Amino acid sequence: MTPRFLHIIPLLAVLTVTPATAQDSVLMKAMRDELERTMAELQLRDMSKPYFVAYRVHESKSAQTTASLGAVVNRGAGASRLLSVEVRVGDPSFDNTNLFTRPDFGSALARAGTPTTLPLEDDYGELRRRIWLATDSAYKQALDHLSKKRAALQNLTQVEQVPDLSPQEPHQYDDERQLSEISVAPLEALALEVSAAFRGLPDIYVSEVEIEAASRRVSYINSEGTSFTRLDPLASVQISAGTQGDDGTALEDSVSAHAHVWEQLPDRATLLALAADLAKRLQQFRAVPFLDRYTGPVLFEGQAAAEVVRQVLVPRLFAVRIPVADDSRFARAMERAGNPFIDKLGSRVLPRFLNLVDDPTRQDHEQTALLGGYAVDDEGVAARETVLVQRGILKTLLSTRNPVLGVPESNGHRRGVGPAPSNLFVVPQQGLAADELRSELLSLVQERELEFGLIVRRIGNARGRVSRGRGPSSSGRQGDRSEIGGVVAYKLFADGREELAGTLALAGMRESDFRDIVAASQTSSVHTAQFVGGSSSAFGFAGVRHPVLVSLVVPSLLFEDVTIRRPSGNIPRPPLVPHPLAGG
Amino acid sequence: MTCGIIPSLRRVLRLGVTVVTMLLAGWSALASDAVLDAMQEELDRSVEMLSNQPIPLYFLSYEITEERTTYSRASFGALAGRSESERRTLDIDLRVGSHDLDNTRPIRGRGGGPRLRFSRLQAPVSDIDALRSTLWFQTDRKYKEATEQLTKVKTNIQVTVQDGERIADFSAEPRQESVENLRSFDLDLAAWEDRLRRYSAPFSRSPHVYSAGAVITGSVVTRWYVNSEGSRIRTSEPRVRLVLSALTKAEDGMELPRYESYFAFDPSGLPDDAVVLETVNGMIRDLEGLRNAPLAEPYTGPAILSGRASGVFFHEILGHRVEGHRQKGDQDAQTFGRMLEEAVLPETFSVVFDPTVARLGATDLAGTYRYDNQGVKARRVPVIQDGVLERFLMSRTPIEGFGRSNGHGRKQAGFSPVSRQSNLFVEVSEPRTQEELKQELIGLLEQQGKDYGLYFEDVQGGFTFTGRTVPNAFNVTPVVVYRIYADGREELVRGVDLIGTPLTTFSKVISAGGDVEVFNGTCGAESGGVPVSAVSPAILVSQIEVQKKAKSEVPLPLLPTPSGPASEPQTLRAGGVL
Repeated sequence: MTPRFLHIIPLLAVLTVTPATAQDSVLMKAMRDELERTMAELQLRDMSKPYFVAYRVHESKSAQTTASLGAVVNRGAGASRLLSVEVRVGDPSFDNTNLFTRPDFGSALARAGTPTTLPLEDDYGELRRRIWLATDSAYKQALDHLSKKRAALQNLTQVEQVPDLSPQEPHQYDDERQLSEISVAPLEALALEVSAAFRGLPDIYVSEVEIEAASRRVSYINSEGTSFTRLDPLASVQISAGTQGDDGTALEDSVSAHAHVWEQLPDRATLLALAADLAKRLQQFRAVPFLDRYTGPVLFEGQAAAEVVRQVLVPRLFAVRIPVADDSRFARAMERAGNPFIDKLGSRVLPRFLNLVDDPTRQDHEQTALLGGYAVDDEGVAARETVLVQRGILKTLLSTRNPVLGVPESNGHRRGVGPAPSNLFVVPQQGLAADELRSELLSLVQERELEFGLIVRRIGNARGRVSRGRGPSSSGRQGDRSEIGGVVAYKLFADGREELAGTLALAGMRESDFRDIVAASQTSSVHTAQFVGGSSSAFGFAGVRHPVLVSLVVPSLLFEDVTIRRPSGNIPRPPLVPHPLAGG
Repeated sequence: MTCGIIPSLRRVLRLGVTVVTMLLAGWSALASDAVLDAMQEELDRSVEMLSNQPIPLYFLSYEITEERTTYSRASFGALAGRSESERRTLDIDLRVGSHDLDNTRPIRGRGGGPRLRFSRLQAPVSDIDALRSTLWFQTDRKYKEATEQLTKVKTNIQVTVQDGERIADFSAEPRQESVENLRSFDLDLAAWEDRLRRYSAPFSRSPHVYSAGAVITGSVVTRWYVNSEGSRIRTSEPRVRLVLSALTKAEDGMELPRYESYFAFDPSGLPDDAVVLETVNGMIRDLEGLRNAPLAEPYTGPAILSGRASGVFFHEILGHRVEGHRQKGDQDAQTFGRMLEEAVLPETFSVVFDPTVARLGATDLAGTYRYDNQGVKARRVPVIQDGVLERFLMSRTPIEGFGRSNGHGRKQAGFSPVSRQSNLFVEVSEPRTQEELKQELIGLLEQQGKDYGLYFEDVQGGFTFTGRTVPNAFNVTPVVVYRIYADGREELVRGVDLIGTPLTTFSKVISAGGDVEVFNGTCGAESGGVPVSAVSPAILVSQIEVQKKAKSEVPLPLLPTPSGPASEPQTLRAGGVL
């Protein structure tokens, strides 16, 4: 059955719980009944009653397996049902949230802030019991936090008065699909077959294939009348391999494929081709002497353009609140964790010919499926298109109901504990054809009197299996990192000739470099990646951190000035003992 | 280093015989094993080539630990969690230098201290080529790390005071060869989940039990071990544990837990429904009693520790201090380091560690093994004989006066082995009856002018500090404690921990009972969690000290337990199992 909208109830009264519908599951009924009792009766002596309560339940059945060279390394399967409770006391303009304080580990019974395990079975009585205890604990913590927050601000004048909860019309959504069973056996068969692609390749030192699949559902209800159930299935294959160059340089990469259900993952032949292509690429790079250092114009094509957007620009797109710290030692650290883009609202952050749009309602882009979409976000806010950057000017940020200065309302991007993108589009207003883009690069090269320009075709994802400690690249969730590794670069000479420059690193790339993008291609390609929200919510770091899928639709991007160099660190020596299967 | 024991499992001795049935898996019981052969082949190749390097390798071992685990949990009659997993951890011990001085010597001084070494290396075992490739690549990395580390060690020796420099870093041990049958068992999860529901359901009868669960964990652990001394070992062992837990809160907010657990090498060794349900009822009664029990005050005076409590007490205050490597570290307090051949307990007491005893009466012992994690055969080690400290538990790390291992080099997969405990047995030559112990205690009350003594009936676990920078203390956490008055009356109390320092406390141990009890648990320390047992009779201590337990400040839930307006039969259990 397809998801469908039920109806939108006009806002009648703030503290109403929507009446039970015929479709209520046992879980939803237990949540609704306990929410009703909580709003009516929960109060400690003469202290404030909650003005807002929300329950969010993450259900998951998942399986995972890793294989190497056609043999299983590990496997696992499990089921869980986790409840997060949000209780607010005070009022929307000032409540217990957005406070950073030392977590209280005092109680073994129910730790406010950590998810509560609910029974896997639809046992109404036991569901109510667990929800009751978790609510009790969250309410007491809320009262405690509200008084701590008041105390912390007693002698300060808050310069910026931003409310703690933005208003929202009630909204209901019900996806009636059931969770599906996830079995590890077919995953394992696929992992075995794909991982066997690396057999007989002794010049690939390590390789593995990891497949995971999860059937997930989120059920949500709050005291304003909003409720939803939403399926969030997820499946992914990650193929990783590593070797060392002839001089010992660590060469690693991994490629992945994502889908909502594992049957929709690319077929065996496609995955085997991905594995073979990865192996071939690493083998090819083993003998290539690396370019030492290059500063100048760089063209990022396809996956590389999407990856540089994901690693450098995306972390700046979140409307993240800096919490009040009740300990001044933390206050400065909190300030540093803030997003500098909040001060750039209304300023130019991209060239005038680029727009940046996030749209969870889009299903595909030119026949390629987009996987980041949803109907409602994790606070029950209906999904909608959000124009983040228009003609280069930053208009807004990806927001939740936790407002920041300049972004007073949610645009439906709460995914997990904080804001996250869904389907993110970098839209060129005047894109160039592929050959025009190369000419543009060459003209910049000529202007700078360089011998060649660089084209980056891939930014890899090493898992640190070959190099000790830090890998030559990282998955890169944070912005402002000093080095992004795994950069597969090609030299482009004036005569149009290309030459492999090696697997290199991007040095000191920052979000401000995006303002100096010179040109973009007409066409965009789609890249999907897993995203785990790293930023905190109004409730601190509490909540369930399931990975979500994000699809990026990005054209090739020509940057004016980028530094690319050998990865930092020493080069390990090549193996002393020959590979056991190398023969001879 | 902090060490602790947790009660994943424990069992009072029961009479009767349980037949342990082990099912043979697909592999035959031949002394050859393709996995061992492949490990051997790679090991030989690496040893040959890396022994000729400028910094030669002198010892290499591979250990692969396969853990197949099934887990399920129910809470108040409803299934609450389920998982199954399979993983194979690879541990490589690669040493360069010599037995006298190698890359594993701790770096002293600034930046030194115990290094927590944990590796997440995994290895496939179902395909020989895949296994060999993994071993080859990881050995190369280990060798490079080892040579780098040896250089640091040699530099460190030049710049620091080395009071134990003449003691070697590694002992040579005889070759061992043993290939056990591969084992498995059928844990009928559906049947068990039904039992877990029934075991956890009765707790809902009590409105004051706020959390209650029943957990079953079944695992088969298979280890393959080869080393450059020619040892080839395969062990395979199923384990199963059933844990019951419940928690209430007193009116003042104090959280009061109760645990019961059962351990066996086969599901058939676990108790039947009637026994478990009776235990559950007992736990509910205990919790009601504890809720209403008066708060105990800080106190010093005489006490009786039940066999289980005494087992944990000996594990914490004695066991961790006779682990050999703790007599060597520059950060260790070395409590017993200079007390060899001295009396540390009354001469009626002996303490023995024996991993070769798999069962006592009908109770399986969790700290049992045939070979330790360094390829050394398990053996009985009498540590204290007739009250006198005779020797330490030894891994292959020599200490002054003890150059060889006695088969206690243990670890959790992924960690580096150190000397750890196995099955601890407290043996007494002049046992008292329970009543005699009580009368002795009452006699002490008069002598010491105390109104009451304490009886520690059940404990949750304990921990101890053996370092120099913190007080060398222990803490045993009791859950069921009684006051015993001079007139013999007993009164349940709550809210205390048993604390003390080791040497003082040991000097106060007077006598012991005759019936032993078993505490099966998991002990956590720097080489990870290892299964252990402690077997002891009840003991009488002339003076113990208790301190107030840390207490939750969170009051009781504000609203009553939801009775639930909607208990329509169709909504109960309607959805079935996820």
